Amino acid sequence: MTTAVAPPLLEDTELGPKAGGFYRHQNIFTGLGFGIGLGFIGWLVSHALLQGSNWGSDMVVTCTMFAWVIGFNIGMGTFNAPIRWMLGHDQTHEDELYAAGVGQGASRYLKFCTDHKVVGTQYLVLVMVLFGVGGTLAMMIRTQLITPHSSFLDPQTYNSIVTIHGMVMIIATIIMVSGPFANFIMPIMIGAKDMAFPRLNAMSFWVVVSAVPCLLATFFLGGVNAGWTTYAPLSVQAPPAMDTFALTIITFVVSVTVAGINTIVTVVTMRAKGMTMGRLPIFTWGTVVGSALGLYAMPAFLLVMTMMITDRATGTSFFVPQIGGSQWLYENIFWIMGHPEVYVILLPGVAAVLEITSTFARKPMFAYKVAIAGFVAIGVLAIMVWAHHMFTTGWAPNLAAPFMLTTELISIPTGIIFLCVIGTLWKGSIWTRLPMYFVYLFLWNFIIGGVTGIYLSDVPADQYFHGDMFVTAHFHYTLLGGAMIGATAAVCYWFPKMTGRMLNERIGKVAFWVIAAGIQITYFGQFWEGFQGMARRVAYYDPKFLDANVMSTVGAYILMSGWILFLYMMLHAWRNGAKAPANPWHAKTLEWKVPTPVPLENFLVDPVVTSDPYTYGEGVPDGQEVPDFAPSEEPELVPAGSTGPGDPGESGEVR
Amino acid sequence: MSITTTDHDEHAHDDGHDGHGHGPAVEGAENPGGQHETAYKRDQKERLLIWLLIGGDLLFLVLEVFTWFYLRTLNVNGMWNGALCTKANPCTDGLGNPITAPITRADPKYAIIIGVLAVVAAGFVWVAEVNAKNGKGKRSVAGAAGIALAFMLAAVAFQIYQFQVLPFTTIDGAYASTYEFFMGSTLAHLILLAFLGMGLWIRAGKGRYEGKTWYRVRIIRFFAVWIAISTVVLVTVGAIFY
Repeated sequence: MTTAVAPPLLEDTELGPKAGGFYRHQNIFTGLGFGIGLGFIGWLVSHALLQGSNWGSDMVVTCTMFAWVIGFNIGMGTFNAPIRWMLGHDQTHEDELYAAGVGQGASRYLKFCTDHKVVGTQYLVLVMVLFGVGGTLAMMIRTQLITPHSSFLDPQTYNSIVTIHGMVMIIATIIMVSGPFANFIMPIMIGAKDMAFPRLNAMSFWVVVSAVPCLLATFFLGGVNAGWTTYAPLSVQAPPAMDTFALTIITFVVSVTVAGINTIVTVVTMRAKGMTMGRLPIFTWGTVVGSALGLYAMPAFLLVMTMMITDRATGTSFFVPQIGGSQWLYENIFWIMGHPEVYVILLPGVAAVLEITSTFARKPMFAYKVAIAGFVAIGVLAIMVWAHHMFTTGWAPNLAAPFMLTTELISIPTGIIFLCVIGTLWKGSIWTRLPMYFVYLFLWNFIIGGVTGIYLSDVPADQYFHGDMFVTAHFHYTLLGGAMIGATAAVCYWFPKMTGRMLNERIGKVAFWVIAAGIQITYFGQFWEGFQGMARRVAYYDPKFLDANVMSTVGAYILMSGWILFLYMMLHAWRNGAKAPANPWHAKTLEWKVPTPVPLENFLVDPVVTSDPYTYGEGVPDGQEVPDFAPSEEPELVPAGSTGPGDPGESGEVR
Repeated sequence: MSITTTDHDEHAHDDGHDGHGHGPAVEGAENPGGQHETAYKRDQKERLLIWLLIGGDLLFLVLEVFTWFYLRTLNVNGMWNGALCTKANPCTDGLGNPITAPITRADPKYAIIIGVLAVVAAGFVWVAEVNAKNGKGKRSVAGAAGIALAFMLAAVAFQIYQFQVLPFTTIDGAYASTYEFFMGSTLAHLILLAFLGMGLWIRAGKGRYEGKTWYRVRIIRFFAVWIAISTVVLVTVGAIFY
């Protein structure tokens, strides 16, 4: 191992007073200022020009919120670089350093910062906020349902809350792993110094931030009472809130597309020497396949929501049957997006579970290449199953059998990946720390979610269950119990690397048991409701469903308590937790071989990978002993960010 | 995973990393100071970026065309283009007004002109790329880029003009809706292309594509050609399948 004398960290470098250009004057507050200002101007202008037209209010709302999104991103600095590129004024080396957050301390977290670790941390906070919002809405739903005719919410408000809960959670779960961990951890894992396109990376974050107020604005614009799928014609007839809802999705699609492309390019082109595709950590494979699926799914989401807005705001007739449209068109395009999107959510979380399992079982991952094949097979099959969501709509009954078959087929690669986790655990020297608790919970929940999914893929069973609470319980077991618990395991696993602090495992284990119990009580209650035939998305219900609803609501409160405790543990540890060593889990992948906190460019000396990622207990091919770093034997990689050999100096331009 | 390490300089030309500006400068005139990655590596990254973007846009295009044929085939309530609407059995438009005759077809000449302009613009971007690759100097690159930009802007202007001269509005059924959606989609793509064309022209005038950085013109050419193809596809569908 080559070592060098540690030069001063880039973070400590003094930049000139003009470094950063406009970036120097921009942060979240200028973003808010520009967003609100341009939004107001957009409202004034569109109101003056369009209010008199037939679809005036929809046009005004759309223009106003679009102006907000553009204004916010102007204020944040999202468009600085493209405009400077167009004008031929490339950013200087100092500008780039400034944009990377050099010398700005904690304030860089409120800016357009290109450092992938800052972006990853920003995503982590955003995801926590979104889960907080979505969780609060969930508790309102369950509170309403604790009695058959509760007056806690009126039906319209209830429906709006159900819709926004669904979409907030979908957005949060799509980015919960690909945001924090694919940004912070994955580049280090493959030996890269950053994402392939750091500015696009920062853009993907701030664009999604600008979408959040659009979604929350729906509550002040009449609410969206069409369910998270916003099927036409309900959504075409909904209040103007539907416009901001659709604009939220369009903005979100831009973010996810950009982030997904960035992830794929990073993995394909920026791996360290020796990091062949066959040596990629499995988490990286999961994020790449998830990103590729996202790239397939998001254009459909963009198209269908754009059509939705034009139907509402300009009178087009894509989804309005009276004037030539078809709601089946909406459903098809929506689910062409919708089912792959489930795997966009799921795969990175499952991949994180595999990663963690190998580390804590202290043995190589079982059937690594089969697991990769499983991911790819899921990715391929996921694009051929969309119409199983439409079995009961009357669309193309002759296609029900083929779609049933493809849907049941997808359980095979899913089961194979499940077996890979089990096989990795099998006869392992399992070190049961907090991340592993959540791995076990993942396995339990995911098998319930998966098996109940097979029932729903079956056309006759789906005729009975579709539209009732059985479906709700199924997808919550899959997405919350599976994907989100996988993401929670990932938080526990990578938190020390991201924050430099250890989580308090005693609190964590209490939170774990509360969460585990809460999930089972809540969603077994909903299975019970479903078996009894209770419809979902209803504010009032027959008293015969009372017992099951009480069980589910009590479970939801238990679950909420567990999450609050978990959140407390995170925030407390972030501020006051014990200092984390560089490699607290004695793991083998590269992110554990750099210091904590991770320096700006991750590596001063570029790693050259010479073995597979999970060589626990094995010798490397040339017979040398694999170093198994204990906390006191941290690797000697030296912080990057020096004015060392080859530094271009002050005047150099970059990109 | 076991690793060895190496200094940056040791294999700076083997592994690409677009970090924050350390290490030896290996770029050409466009990037004299910062990134320690080869022109080849940057080309590789940007090419993959643009191909993935085009891939996503291709799916968008396919779904647009799918929408056209889906609604045309279903012809819900006879309101694809109102061909079945008569005085005896009138259809209704988006405002509830009766439609008693087929919706007038859009004049295809405007769409064809736009398609031709997009193709010619892409052709001149290609010429700019060849000029840059052959080291013909910034004036020849900027000249071709300028002509390409002019065609792009003309296409944008024509697309806007076509909205003014359509014989129908969005409320006149599925054909009218989808046709106008195609136009809007084309306009958005052309504006994006014009932005890139403007950058290409300005930067070429500053000599940013001399030497090893000619490949960056090729990136824009990929996109310009794709826009030309997608425009022609939409024009063809709109013109033929009334």
